[in-house]
Amino acid sequence: MFVSTRRRTLAILVSGALVAAACSGSDSADSPDATEAPAAAAEAEPDETPDDSEPADMPDAEPAPTAPDEPAPLEDEDQLTSAGEGNVDLASLEPIAGGEITFGLTNDGTGFDTTGAVAPGSIRVITALNDSLVGLDADANWQPNLAESLTPNDDFTSWTITMRPGLLFHDGEPVDGEAVRANLQAFKDSPTVGFAMAQVDSITAVDELSVRLDLSAPWAALPYGLVGQPGWMVSPSTIGTNETFTGTGPFILESWTPGDGARVVRNPNYWRADEGLPYLDAINFKFLVDVTVKRQAFEAGDVQGYVSPDDEDILDFLDDDETDVWIGTAGANEYLWLLNTTAAPFDDLRVRQAMAHAIDKQFIIDAFRSGLTVPANGPLNPSDRWYTENNYPQFDPAAAQALVDEYEAEFGPIEFELSIEPNASTIEVAEVMMSFLTDVGIDGKIKEIGQGQSALTAILDDFQAFSWFQFGSPDPDSDYVFFHSSGGFLNWTNLVSADIDAGLDAGRQNVDEADRKAGYAQFLQALGDEVPMIWVDHLNGVEAAVTLPELHEVEHVVAEPEVGLLRQLLRLVGCLDRAVT
Amino acid sequence: MLIFVQRLGRLVFVFFVVTFVTFFLLDQAPGDPAERFAGLNATPEVIEGIRAELGLNGSLIERYLRWLGNAVRFDFGDSIVTRGFSSWDLIRESLPKTLELMVFAEIMAIGIAVPLALASARRPGSFIDKASSSTAFGLLALPAFVLGIYMSFIFGVKLGWFPTIVDNLPGLNDDPLDNLRQMFLPSLTLALNLVAVYLRLLRSDLIETLQEDYVMLAQARGLSERRIMWRHVLRPSSLNFTTAVGLNIAGLIGGAFIIEVLFAINGMGRLVIQSVILEDFNVVAAVVAILTVAYVMMNFLVDVLYSILDPRIRHAAR
Repeated sequence: MFVSTRRRTLAILVSGALVAAACSGSDSADSPDATEAPAAAAEAEPDETPDDSEPADMPDAEPAPTAPDEPAPLEDEDQLTSAGEGNVDLASLEPIAGGEITFGLTNDGTGFDTTGAVAPGSIRVITALNDSLVGLDADANWQPNLAESLTPNDDFTSWTITMRPGLLFHDGEPVDGEAVRANLQAFKDSPTVGFAMAQVDSITAVDELSVRLDLSAPWAALPYGLVGQPGWMVSPSTIGTNETFTGTGPFILESWTPGDGARVVRNPNYWRADEGLPYLDAINFKFLVDVTVKRQAFEAGDVQGYVSPDDEDILDFLDDDETDVWIGTAGANEYLWLLNTTAAPFDDLRVRQAMAHAIDKQFIIDAFRSGLTVPANGPLNPSDRWYTENNYPQFDPAAAQALVDEYEAEFGPIEFELSIEPNASTIEVAEVMMSFLTDVGIDGKIKEIGQGQSALTAILDDFQAFSWFQFGSPDPDSDYVFFHSSGGFLNWTNLVSADIDAGLDAGRQNVDEADRKAGYAQFLQALGDEVPMIWVDHLNGVEAAVTLPELHEVEHVVAEPEVGLLRQLLRLVGCLDRAVT
Repeated sequence: MLIFVQRLGRLVFVFFVVTFVTFFLLDQAPGDPAERFAGLNATPEVIEGIRAELGLNGSLIERYLRWLGNAVRFDFGDSIVTRGFSSWDLIRESLPKTLELMVFAEIMAIGIAVPLALASARRPGSFIDKASSSTAFGLLALPAFVLGIYMSFIFGVKLGWFPTIVDNLPGLNDDPLDNLRQMFLPSLTLALNLVAVYLRLLRSDLIETLQEDYVMLAQARGLSERRIMWRHVLRPSSLNFTTAVGLNIAGLIGGAFIIEVLFAINGMGRLVIQSVILEDFNVVAAVVAILTVAYVMMNFLVDVLYSILDPRIRHAAR
């Protein structure tokens, strides 16, 4: 079935023999490390933005060459084509309703409470169960989705959300104004995630289908905030419930077994059912922690697709003409270090600049991401519509050394601790970054903190530098609270910059795209100048979904990068031409 | 009776020691589950309330005694990470799968090892003896995770005879065929390491027993070879074998953990690994408690079985 099966067979046998030779006599003492690493990596990532866990497309990806007499390739940004791949005649692909698939997930879910921090594994499943109030179109502009309309007042201090009539939750309850109010109010009141709606003063059900949000300040970009978790609607009686999700999406949660997976079945009352959606009868989400297990299950046909967080796995499949590799259009997380700008030595701009100059981002990308990621100079990907270049210090050891010498002449040696969650692969990257710093005379030490303690540690400012994964939201306004000086405790680096504040405010309060872009340019420029964070890379490309060629996208619906790759995959499965039961 | 009470006392002692040490170690881990549970904006009062709700307030001894009091009623507290589920809910979901895996593995291992050992002992140096010994050494050298990958690749990917992962496992009563089909590869993988141990052990004991006078007497009386091997040789040769089986059942738990990851079985191994990674302390403590009881109980049963197999032990105890 697969072109490179022989090669893989040989590779597995050889690697197995090598491992056996190395480990003979031991009862697989190394195995847990090897098998847990992917899960541990995912869980270790602080993931504050509920909608930022999806990968983005590779900006430098080029479409595959197409033979003249072959059908045109998919005009799909998500499909990173390799030679021969993507040559699919769309016209010949008719959706065939029915059947079910098993889809492998890397991360286990921890529940579905929409008023709490939702784990990446849960978000994957929720994409099948949920439609948000607002979606994004192909140009990443917000569009009403579950909502029929969102109407602001003149100065954007109040928004009225009007729902589509006749919408039902999975339990048959109506999605009316009161239900929307209850969901939004619960989210706002949440001690865990309510900060995202701090600017909302009151939420009022105006009539049967409408809700009004009154704000403390103008917020033209508010609808972007309702694309992700704040815009998820669940039946009012289940708000705050962790073990189930009674949403509005194309599938209904039939079962969820922590540590194992979830099964979702077709929602017969789906509001887009007249379009034939969803095509599948059911999807089994199977939690598969180990990449080898996932791959073997895929090649054996036990799973029809899976999300791979493994760069080498992705590269391998890109070479395989008979497997599709899908890399979404959404912004992925960035890997970076937060610097606490209120504590020495990072209260001095020269040290921050020296750190940025000292680290060779491309080396990290080549060594640890197989060259699949893009160097970062800020939270926005170069492919992002809001992206502009800034003057973030680039790799220049000599410049770093000069800055270090200048600082040390005044204050003595530069020493710091890097707080990091205990994840082997992340620590490995951090250690290499430390070695770059050592080269210019900066002495860093790694300080491991408890698993899942990142956010709390950062909030308490109990750090000097912090290994961090975050950002990459489709709209920069979602990251407002993490940079703005009035973002309170969530201004991670504690930097107070008038330019950052002004830029973010301009992006939030203006409707005009040029004005917003100017605001975000100011924001990015200030980030480059002030260097409150050491940016490494945009993690798009290190996660992708691989699927059988039977699963192709035939429907160019509203692109929904905010709900991510898997939701797009659910669109893809419309062309399942072989029911898998 | 006395020996029973002594063993039971030992069981209780080991349970207390292991659970307390586990409790102590979990207490030393960095981070505060109550703070994590409470969320980012939680006030100290809210955190304190949650700490009380989760049973995390008070000194280590207080908490341990409180936990112990609840544990005897199978109330191990709620999962801190997977809210909405109690620790016992999660264990109840995964324990049967691990037990099934271990039982199947033991049955397979014994089913393969005993006939092979008998055949090898009957004709030491024969082809079957050499072949089985060589294979046993080979299997001993292969860690379970390597063996699992090979098995999955050959029988799952290449031949397509068995699934490479266990998914939506039906109960044995509901769909025994599908259940057995899904559990075959993981059980066999786990069993093959055991086969090697059992085969070597039993073979050498059988050869030794075959030198006994009463065996020669049986042969002289004209009993059939099969009858002598199964009725007069196997039983007295089974003491070490029984010990190994008993100890390995407990030891299998470790192997099962690896197999569960390799074949995506939602068993106790995956549960404890995930719980440790996510610092779901209540679940970890519950799993350790149950495994401790299981381990000690297993050793107790092996002791009892000893005295049945060899009356000399029973008499010595008196």
